[in-house]
Amino acid sequence: MTDKVVEKVAIQTEESRNQGRRAFLKGSAAVAGGVLFTQAASASPAMKFDAKKAVAPYSGREEITDVMPDSMSRKMLGWGVRQYPYGMPSPFEKDVQRRTLEWLTPDSMASITMTPLQSLHGMITPNGLHFERYHGGGININPKDHRLVIHGLVERPLIFTMDDLKRFPSESRILFAECPANGAMEWKGVQLNSVQWTHGMMSCVEWTGVRLSTLLKEAGIKPEGKWLIPEGADASGMARSVPIELAMDDCMIAYAQNGEALRPEQGYPIRLVVPGCEANMWVKHLRRIQVSNVPLQHREETSKYTELMPDGTVQNMSWYMEANSVITYPSPDFKMQGPGRYVAKGIAWSGRGKVDHVDITFDGGRNWHEAKLTSAVLPKAWTRFELEFDWDGSELLMMSRTTDETGYVQPGMPQMREIEGTNNVYHRTAMVTWKIHAHNSPQGGMIENVQF
Amino acid sequence: MFNSKKTLIAAAVVTAVSGSLLLTGCSDSGSADWKKMIEANDGKYLDGAVVKAILGEDDRARLVKKFDPSNPYSFEVDDAIDGGAHGNMQCKVPEAFVDVHANVKQNYYDDASYKAYGYGTPIAEAALKNWKIHVDGDGQGLPPLDVGMTVEKGANMYIQFCSVCHGEFGEGAKGYLPLAEGDPLPLATSDMNAPAPVKTVGNYWPYATTLYDYNRRAMPFWTPNMPAIGEAGYMGITGYILQMNAVKLDDAGTTIEDEDFFNAEMLMKANKYMRNAGNFFCDHRPVIANERCMKDCPDYMVGDGTGNTKDYRTAGRLPDGTPQYNVEQRIEVSPPGVGHHGF
Repeated sequence: MTDKVVEKVAIQTEESRNQGRRAFLKGSAAVAGGVLFTQAASASPAMKFDAKKAVAPYSGREEITDVMPDSMSRKMLGWGVRQYPYGMPSPFEKDVQRRTLEWLTPDSMASITMTPLQSLHGMITPNGLHFERYHGGGININPKDHRLVIHGLVERPLIFTMDDLKRFPSESRILFAECPANGAMEWKGVQLNSVQWTHGMMSCVEWTGVRLSTLLKEAGIKPEGKWLIPEGADASGMARSVPIELAMDDCMIAYAQNGEALRPEQGYPIRLVVPGCEANMWVKHLRRIQVSNVPLQHREETSKYTELMPDGTVQNMSWYMEANSVITYPSPDFKMQGPGRYVAKGIAWSGRGKVDHVDITFDGGRNWHEAKLTSAVLPKAWTRFELEFDWDGSELLMMSRTTDETGYVQPGMPQMREIEGTNNVYHRTAMVTWKIHAHNSPQGGMIENVQF
Repeated sequence: MFNSKKTLIAAAVVTAVSGSLLLTGCSDSGSADWKKMIEANDGKYLDGAVVKAILGEDDRARLVKKFDPSNPYSFEVDDAIDGGAHGNMQCKVPEAFVDVHANVKQNYYDDASYKAYGYGTPIAEAALKNWKIHVDGDGQGLPPLDVGMTVEKGANMYIQFCSVCHGEFGEGAKGYLPLAEGDPLPLATSDMNAPAPVKTVGNYWPYATTLYDYNRRAMPFWTPNMPAIGEAGYMGITGYILQMNAVKLDDAGTTIEDEDFFNAEMLMKANKYMRNAGNFFCDHRPVIANERCMKDCPDYMVGDGTGNTKDYRTAGRLPDGTPQYNVEQRIEVSPPGVGHHGF
């Protein structure tokens, strides 16, 4: 098409860097004094819309005068229905993928992929981009053969087919699933420049299924049953210990995500959903729930998924994911396109309830500005936030900080590191910092992951 | 610096002798007041001011008080205070998490009217024989005492089925982590630049039961729960791994010998002498209870925690000095830096 259009937002490429430089050479006016806020709301309500004033920022900008060519799509028929019985994204979205870091694990069957948060919009993760975490490889289970059994400290051990489970009252909830190792590589400093690597071990979808409390009551759970041991039908026989309080609070046995059956990567045909808690507890391919008087002490709750403190003690059974947030734009996958007005966008979430506020700093934490919440605000779900600001081209240190409905305020990394050390691995839920390189610096407009 | 459990265990010994309760100081502020305080603050049970009012002034005081099971913010139950050494450690959802407990009451304890839908099918426990692979921290689920083999035979089994990935002496291979200590780095460190400590069965795992449960459940990685190994074989392998980690069997320091017939009884003996067992404690978060400051925030919230925003760490840079970016050809594929050693 035309190369005269300067895109406001571009994935970091050589081309976009050059575009940024061109915009600069064209002489965008620099504003002195850091970040300015566009006070749209402060305008008097009595003032009418002024078309000339509204377009003023375009004055002096070069106009496209070449006649726009017509596209091929206007000159030929498109394809018929059912060309794609199950629809796929546009081929031009091919770079929006789950990705992994091969050095993280010795093999791919006990490994993880990350969701490309930098390319997502809204609060729902498409099923094909939901992060994967396997402990014994992905599997396809025939739902006709799959069973769920609830036994142990119950009056009446019961076994359910998939059809049985779908007859029960159902519930649909939008909930994030977050690996407690999300951000694990960044305890001693930063390693990677992408929000996909720093926060991509999580996703947020609509889960549909049966309340676990319903099934436990169905089997007549006994008062001495204090722990549930959910177990998967995969090679790892994944299992955890879930206390009765969490089980009866809001756990679900999910058979659907975003309106369709669970994907194999997410535990088809059923998985446990423990809202707001470590996704490691959300046992996939769920086959058996043993009601017990004591916890299992599985390898994944003793040797792994426990947090080593600097004095050598270890925190375990840390179920809840703490309030967290991240700015997805601008973030290291993007580049600033010269001074001007920007809309910072991001995601906030809390394992303990709703997001109450998200604030953004541009100066490394001294002053904060409240962002607007731009999606539905649901408990234990991603919440979208945005904040408009005018960038004068000087260096910025941007961070987002969420406050959840319990009153918990997300801390900075130095505070978290002081208490929890650097070998903790899990639950690194402190803020991250994006450094926006000054427009006229050698890395002008680049966005870099830095850590105090 | 964070220092909790070790100090606490020492404190517990002293207070037990003097006859007073562990951390009695908690009970004054941990009384009925806390419910009113949370209510008065719109249910914000983790609000900095609320936590401070209930638990005390500084982070350290708050943290220590959380190890008292009667504290409304404690995840601990009485069992947990001793860690794994004397039983199966348990944790709970703190009483102060009022919304959770309200839901539990409504969904369970107060649901007298629940009557089964009848959609399931009754099943006998005996019919689940092949599915019940669960051995918990109390040893429930272990095979009978005649199931096992000598540690020497277990070692042979281990060499045949396990050593290809874990090394003959548990030293690790092919990127898989070691199972046993050679000269392990100390677990206690606050050095930013020190490599991450290696966690092994001997220096980290709190339960021996976990080892049997996990081996039979998920090992060998490529062919888990293998009939060729069988319950006896898994027991023998477990014995050998505990032996290579020099786990003791009693206070006298009796070690696991090659000719010992390793069975559930031996396993439960070893379970009491896992070296790191007493160092585990229940989730204590949140420890940090900040105010939501908006303007001219105090130095501890700014930059490196002293108000300085000039010093920060960056990721490795490309030869031309630009930061690494998320573009295929630019992804750094070198091994991870310190602070992480796989999941």
